[in-house]
Amino acid sequence: MSRELLRDHWRLRVNTDTKSRLQGRDFGRLARTQPPYLARWRRNVPFTVFILPALIVYSIVVILPLIQTFRYSFTNYDGLSPEYDFVGLENYRKVLSSEQLIEPFIRTIGFSMVVPLLVTVMAIPLAVVLNGRFKTRNFQRASFFLPSVLSALFLGYSWTFILSSSKYGMINALLEQFGFDRQLLLADSDLAMWLIVLVVVWSQVGWHAALYLANLQTIDPALLEAADIDGASAFQRFRFITLPHLAPAMTVSVALLIIGSLKVFDLPLAMTEGGPGRSTILMTQSIIIQGLSSSRIGLASAMSFLFFLVIAVITFTQVTLMSRYEDEK
Amino acid sequence: MMRRYTARTLVGEITMLVLCAVFLIPIYFLVVSSFKTQPEILRSPLGLPESIDFSNYVEALEGINFFHHLWISVYITTISVVLIVVFGSMAAYTIARKTNRLTKFLRNYFLIGFMVPIQTTMLPLFLIMRNLDLLNTKQGLIFLHANGAVFALFLYTGFMRAMPRDLEEAAAIDGAGQFRIFWRIVFPLLKPVTATVAIFNFVWVWNDFILGFLFLGTTDNATLTMQVYNGMGQFENDWAIMIPMLILTTLPMVIFFLLMQKRIIGGLVTGSLKG
Repeated sequence: MSRELLRDHWRLRVNTDTKSRLQGRDFGRLARTQPPYLARWRRNVPFTVFILPALIVYSIVVILPLIQTFRYSFTNYDGLSPEYDFVGLENYRKVLSSEQLIEPFIRTIGFSMVVPLLVTVMAIPLAVVLNGRFKTRNFQRASFFLPSVLSALFLGYSWTFILSSSKYGMINALLEQFGFDRQLLLADSDLAMWLIVLVVVWSQVGWHAALYLANLQTIDPALLEAADIDGASAFQRFRFITLPHLAPAMTVSVALLIIGSLKVFDLPLAMTEGGPGRSTILMTQSIIIQGLSSSRIGLASAMSFLFFLVIAVITFTQVTLMSRYEDEK
Repeated sequence: MMRRYTARTLVGEITMLVLCAVFLIPIYFLVVSSFKTQPEILRSPLGLPESIDFSNYVEALEGINFFHHLWISVYITTISVVLIVVFGSMAAYTIARKTNRLTKFLRNYFLIGFMVPIQTTMLPLFLIMRNLDLLNTKQGLIFLHANGAVFALFLYTGFMRAMPRDLEEAAAIDGAGQFRIFWRIVFPLLKPVTATVAIFNFVWVWNDFILGFLFLGTTDNATLTMQVYNGMGQFENDWAIMIPMLILTTLPMVIFFLLMQKRIIGGLVTGSLKG
């Protein structure tokens, strides 16, 4: 039915556009049957229908909960009882003053500074090498990229077998074979967080190298060759040609790394479940513990909202930097 | 001069291959250990297994009800990816082709989504899903994954803006309605973006843990990725089953990667907007 209408509508439009001046009668008929606002409305129906599904899902899955989080963060809601009180900034005060609550926050921020730094320092040289003239470079690219498509949960669990404190763990089995003492590794609360950093870096470096690689391939080889003829050393070529070309990719890569590290959840959970003790609890896990396990929705919402603010600032900085690069082009 | 293959290059190449081997040791260790008994792991942690025995694998298959959960993963991932592609491309058509104040507002409205992590929305979302009776259901998880359409939308919009409108206008003059113009003319032209969106979201939805963890839990509807988590709890300390289980649950993704390697690397990098 509506399809019929639409087809007629287009026919009528064609009529008005091309024939109306020649056939005044036609135009007259159209004007009688199709008031302009109705025609406009009909033309807009498909466009509205097109955007509606995404709009509805997005509004329910993102916007509504975002507003709810903001609202709950000022209350003592527990997720169950229909009655709750407005407590003002009490939750925020609690989050910022309680050592137990602020600790995962600080740890997460430290984690998301160390990981991007290490990944970037390794991914750029790796990309340069993978862009080289090696015969097996496709195999090498695939090897380094493989962890990126596997679930973080799998990667985390795989490493628990390697870093296990039991004698069957790969590191400990090797140590014992060569006559050294067994180490605590993941069971050592001072070391556990660093081992998580190691595994995250391992899992991310290939993906980010691929991102840099895609950008390296846009550099005109003639440019590097000209520099070489002019007597620039390999380091100078890298410093003055390659690196500036990678600046936009670096903005994207670093922002993604920071945001990804702030959000990290599955991999540490698989490796340590927050332990030993509370030494590797990160932000997401902390929110889940407070909000769902302890039913302190209000408090956890304040944590979530602070978390959102941090992410928003980073995203905003990245977008601003990116648009500056676009302008320079 | 850049292309010559010298002895130095060969040394570099061998160094890189050694690095690759070190890089992949965790996966190698997992695979060889899956065929070993625990005393054998102790004797030679990195050596090849003395015999190939699949009985551990069979036990793991049954232990986590592999095929049932594989089917759930395939079901959830496929429908989610289709919804993401359909919703995303349709919405992008409106935003790219209909420029007025409302669509500009909607574009910015959708942009907020890039800044909102699941961590910020998960608690109210949990309550909303509970009220909608969608907790622990496949439909519920698909509904949440369908939100990926927002990120697809921006990839599609960028591509569509660069696409000439001639064909669409010609079709309109020939009397085709907007629906037909979109599905018959525009959508087929979007194929490269659709491939990227589909691959990227396939990997992402398949590997998703946090949504499954919060909204499916340990139920019968758990995805394969969730089942890894459930299985690790269930077989605590029984390495002979845990390791084959890990390998089995990852195998589908490894196969997918080997089959579509080039497209995956390209797609993941283009789709990186999402993060």
